[in-house]
Amino acid sequence: MVITATRTGIGRGVAEHFVKRGYLVAGCSRGAATLELDGYHHTRVDVGDEDQVRKWVRSVHNAYQHIEVLVCNAGLAPAALLMAMTPGKVLEPLLRTNVSGTYYVCREVAKVMILQRSGRIITLSSMAVGLHEEGTSAYSASKSAVVEMTKILAKELAPLGITSNVIAPSMVKTEALEALGQGVIARALQKLTIKRTLTIEEICNVISFFAAPDSACITGQVIHMGLVV
Amino acid sequence: MLSEERAYQLIQDTMTSLRRSGLVNEEVTIGRDTVLLGPGSPLDSLAFVTLIADLEDRLNRETGQDLSLVLDEIQGFNLNVPHLSVDILSKYMMNLTTRKQ
Repeated sequence: MVITATRTGIGRGVAEHFVKRGYLVAGCSRGAATLELDGYHHTRVDVGDEDQVRKWVRSVHNAYQHIEVLVCNAGLAPAALLMAMTPGKVLEPLLRTNVSGTYYVCREVAKVMILQRSGRIITLSSMAVGLHEEGTSAYSASKSAVVEMTKILAKELAPLGITSNVIAPSMVKTEALEALGQGVIARALQKLTIKRTLTIEEICNVISFFAAPDSACITGQVIHMGLVV
Repeated sequence: MLSEERAYQLIQDTMTSLRRSGLVNEEVTIGRDTVLLGPGSPLDSLAFVTLIADLEDRLNRETGQDLSLVLDEIQGFNLNVPHLSVDILSKYMMNLTTRKQ
């Protein structure tokens, strides 16, 4: 299993969960590893750097020979700013990581899965896409892009037995969430159908569902967690 | 450096593999002018993507190098009017292996 952004937050929790269940997990982040578990291997990668991603995925392929599941989790969540006040220096790194980074990682892992004629690609979007919350224009736009690219990838790869799906979690208590600011969090909680934060285990449950052999006909879908869209 | 003959053979092996996996409908024996991408190609878009992924893998195993086939690095390749023949691809592969040495 390949997971991006495993240093903190959802990615770290998901990596830990699956390593403890016997998966071999290759994780990455821009910083050093914070997980030290048998079955986990960490590489420092900036997912927005096309060349780094290419080399990393190739090294994972060479090391494990097979990539069954990709969880493409890497993403930035900037502080809430109204669109009229959002500068390029906030927008551009966000698009680089959330859109380009997801694109590059999915593309390179897809090449491996094309050779295998099997695989599960799971990307992480956000409840923000459905809420249209003030102050999240850049973030929501980037996560909308993730949904769209995942659905198109699903159509492109379906003939080869590869599925591609999206998880759109509501809120998990992470540093990234807190960066959105208490005002945004409080308003968002009120708009949720299930008015609480999610656990990592709940997210892992959906990943397991998408990754399961019996889910071979589930592709191009978005599972919204905690929110009716 | 990869020889021209070997580059052709890798492309032919990949085409044969695509045929076996059902991604192309008929056996294709390649020649230098065989079109791989563009009008006249026997490959649909999915088969072409698979060809590149498979070929890249074969090339790396063949040379022991860490090489990537990046279409827009091919001299004269126009992403807006994509066209790729066996001759152009094999020359690019040979050039790639030379550059990395």
